[in-house]
Amino acid sequence: MTGAVGLSSGDGSRGCLIEARDLVKSFGPTPALRGADLSVRAGEIVAVMGPSGSGKSTLLHCLAGILVPEGGEVWFAGGRVDAMRETERSALRRDRFGFVFQSGQLVPELTAEENVALPLLLRGVRRSRALQETRDWFERLALSGLEQRRSGELSGGQAQRVALARALVGGPRVLFADEPTGSLDSLTGEHVMELLVAASRDQGTTVVLVTHDPRVAAYAEREVVVRDGKVSALAGDPVRS
Amino acid sequence: MIRLGVRLTVNGGREAVARLIVTAAAVALGVGLLLVTVAGINAVHAQDVRTAWLNTSDHNLRPSVNEATSDPLWGLASLDDYRHSIIERVDVAATGPRSPAPPGISGLPRSGQFYASPALTRLLRSTPAADLGDRYPGRQVGTIGPSALASPNSLVIIIGHTAAELSQTPGAREVRSIETAPQGGPGDRHPGRIELILAVVAGALLLPVLIFIAAATRLAAARREQRFAAMRLLGATPRQVSVIAAVEASVAAVGGVIGGFGLFFLLRSPLAAVPFTGQPFFPGDLSLHLSDILIIAIGVPIAAALAARLALRRVQISPLGVTRHVTPAAPHAWRAIPLLAGVAELAFFVGRRPATTSGQIRAYGAGFVLAMAGLVIAGPWLTMLVSRVMARRTGRPAVLIAGRRLSDNPRAAFRAVSGLIVALFISTASAGVITTIVAYHSASTGGVAGRDILSEYFGGQDAGLGLQHPGQADVSDTLVSQLASIQGVQAVTVVRADPLTAEGPNFGPPTGFVSCAQLARMPALGRCAPGAAVASIPLEFGSGGVVAHPSGDASVRPAAAMSADRLKALPVHALYVGTNGSRAAIEHARTTLEIAFPYAGSPSTIGEISPGNSQLLAGWQQLADVAIIASLIIAASSLAVSVASGLVERKRPFSLLRLTGAPIGVLRRVVALEAAAPLVAVAVLSGGTGLLAAHLFLRSQLSESLQPPGAHYYLIVVAGIVAALGIIASTLPLLERITGPEVARNE
Repeated sequence: MTGAVGLSSGDGSRGCLIEARDLVKSFGPTPALRGADLSVRAGEIVAVMGPSGSGKSTLLHCLAGILVPEGGEVWFAGGRVDAMRETERSALRRDRFGFVFQSGQLVPELTAEENVALPLLLRGVRRSRALQETRDWFERLALSGLEQRRSGELSGGQAQRVALARALVGGPRVLFADEPTGSLDSLTGEHVMELLVAASRDQGTTVVLVTHDPRVAAYAEREVVVRDGKVSALAGDPVRS
Repeated sequence: MIRLGVRLTVNGGREAVARLIVTAAAVALGVGLLLVTVAGINAVHAQDVRTAWLNTSDHNLRPSVNEATSDPLWGLASLDDYRHSIIERVDVAATGPRSPAPPGISGLPRSGQFYASPALTRLLRSTPAADLGDRYPGRQVGTIGPSALASPNSLVIIIGHTAAELSQTPGAREVRSIETAPQGGPGDRHPGRIELILAVVAGALLLPVLIFIAAATRLAAARREQRFAAMRLLGATPRQVSVIAAVEASVAAVGGVIGGFGLFFLLRSPLAAVPFTGQPFFPGDLSLHLSDILIIAIGVPIAAALAARLALRRVQISPLGVTRHVTPAAPHAWRAIPLLAGVAELAFFVGRRPATTSGQIRAYGAGFVLAMAGLVIAGPWLTMLVSRVMARRTGRPAVLIAGRRLSDNPRAAFRAVSGLIVALFISTASAGVITTIVAYHSASTGGVAGRDILSEYFGGQDAGLGLQHPGQADVSDTLVSQLASIQGVQAVTVVRADPLTAEGPNFGPPTGFVSCAQLARMPALGRCAPGAAVASIPLEFGSGGVVAHPSGDASVRPAAAMSADRLKALPVHALYVGTNGSRAAIEHARTTLEIAFPYAGSPSTIGEISPGNSQLLAGWQQLADVAIIASLIIAASSLAVSVASGLVERKRPFSLLRLTGAPIGVLRRVVALEAAAPLVAVAVLSGGTGLLAAHLFLRSQLSESLQPPGAHYYLIVVAGIVAALGIIASTLPLLERITGPEVARNE
């Protein structure tokens, strides 16, 4: 068995916030994860890299409780995620995690402001309070003036920043970002990444970032590589502060 | 390019084939409904053509024979009742060998002979003669064929007489031909019926069916548009993309048209047996003309192609993807003006009832039409207002998303339920008016007890035929004894009228006179003041749908300054036979009266001649019920299709929302609200407006307040809404399937 990369293995009580142990997951006859291990400390920003089809997105989905692995365990803050019922995992994703995807994550009917407020509304926060809390995020992510725009009226970079605000507005413990700059040009992508890293650090949010782009991965404190369904540390793993 | 379009449609992989099948199935359902509707209209028309002979007069629009060479025919048409069923009775007498004969019989019956329809033949065989058969003199020599009958269940009898006998009968007319024009002749008994039915059917069914078909061809449009963007990237021109889109839509529509015709022919026979208009159709009645077939078979695919091309104009498909044009302009408040004008017009006439019937028809008709059209015009604006309020005020994510989507395109949301608003408005208004008139009539005619009284009128108009009968000179004591001896008959009352004062609509309500001794045995008609020998009583009492306004205390009849002897000298205007309400007693007494007065018109109970039991009103109510249920179901189908399309369009954001922890229940509520909110809002709005319009009409015409419709009305509306919500609920499994985590991963 491959040991957990970067940290001693643990169940949350020994410093790591989220941990995957020996994960196995297949899609039909195609194996995606074949004994993947990963542990991430609280507040850490980890980039998961790897070529297309290596299983990096599957790893992220298993860590986030979106997919249930066929083998192995997923732990978050001392709780066994893979053993939870779907409703419990949904509640975990809603209340403790935030997500940023490549594109198409905004509800097209809602204004930018309402999109950002949506996670709070889903938690039962009153509308006025939810909208109040979103305003701060519009300023922080340089989105002021765009509150009433719909997704079709936003540029790619703006839409991605709105998605970032939506992911962070609820104060998640972990932010999962799957190719967050995949549909943006390099300049806009860098801007989004800077905001993502800055906001996460401000909030002390742990970030698990899936990307195949080394320039994006460079924003992380630690990089791991998924290859053939297994996780390995990058040679000379640099840790940035 | 067309060939490429066909190849892409048919060989575009599993998803493309699935989309094609689903679209074709939805179009097939829509086309099937459209064909049933068109065939239903044809069937009603066929019924009218076949029963045109019952409208025969001395001024036929389309004579059956050359009137210059034919021999005259004496004829008398009347309506008879048996256990709440109408029997059409036609008495005929030939004057020569070339006298015209009605359709459906091989020749005119001679004196002492009659032809009966198959349904009446069965009834005559299964009923004691004293209850029914004795009414018709002679023996049956044949059955009337379908070419003279509206329905397999029609009760019709043609009775032969000698010309000498029938020519002396009051009301009989001499004609030289039989009417073959379906309606509009001077003898037309149901003027405007066909227009009314067509208007209701067209307004309440055709429009929503067409909208449903249009919605079906737009299924999964967003996915198609993404594919078109990819084609643009490969170098396809906008025109080529447009052609491919049209071909795709047409292929699905052609499949749907074939399926729709199959569905129609499969369901034709069972549907013919359903009494949509009060009576079942002959299976052959639900037929299609060649022009109907061609228009639908060619028109639907062409319309689908045009709709697909028009739909592409609403989006900008560039090589880099699909962008929707700016949200369509919001509807303006001016849309409420026609609705308000319609209600104001009806309110204006409260206390200002037009004096003439034509003036009343113009005034109330215009008000109702304006209110109905106003509802359709105001609908999108009202939908927008409601959805904006929903979206602005709510803290619930499901209400917020649904409200925003509805307010984005209120026209589309309302379009799906626009047929429903017409059906529900008409049905509610008619239910309100009928309920109130029936209640009012019941109150003015002795209530429940009055419904068990059989009445024979000798003065005034025969129901529906425009024939005048003079009063009856007298009623023999033998007849009175005979009636009184029938089991279940409790009393017999004779109402007499002074010919000098009884008639004349311009001189106030006509008055009759009744013996207080007789009235005392029939308290449902009222009672005399103490010491009076003769009392005045309204002559319009329960007659032919004309409702007298009850003035003062109707139970006490004012004393008449007339002796009992003087009363006996007056001609008889009406005969009332009080029964215990049993059908046997009523039918036996009716038969006895018909034998005694064969041409005086059919005796009826007050309940039978009340508006609630009028066959026309019952048929109208039936049709309104059919329209309301069908339009609710079609509207729900359109909503379900548009919701499904909306789901597919938002597949990615919804699946990502679910993935980020949004409970599936929230997304279910979004779907339910997007469909159910306009449905329920429109049902409440059109129902409310229908009741308001009915109330204003009743205040103006009868100075009566609206009585709430009965349980039947609510049952129909609730059943329709439940069926509609069931259809909407059928889209929920789609939601779960297309928003699962696997989907999000693979998008």
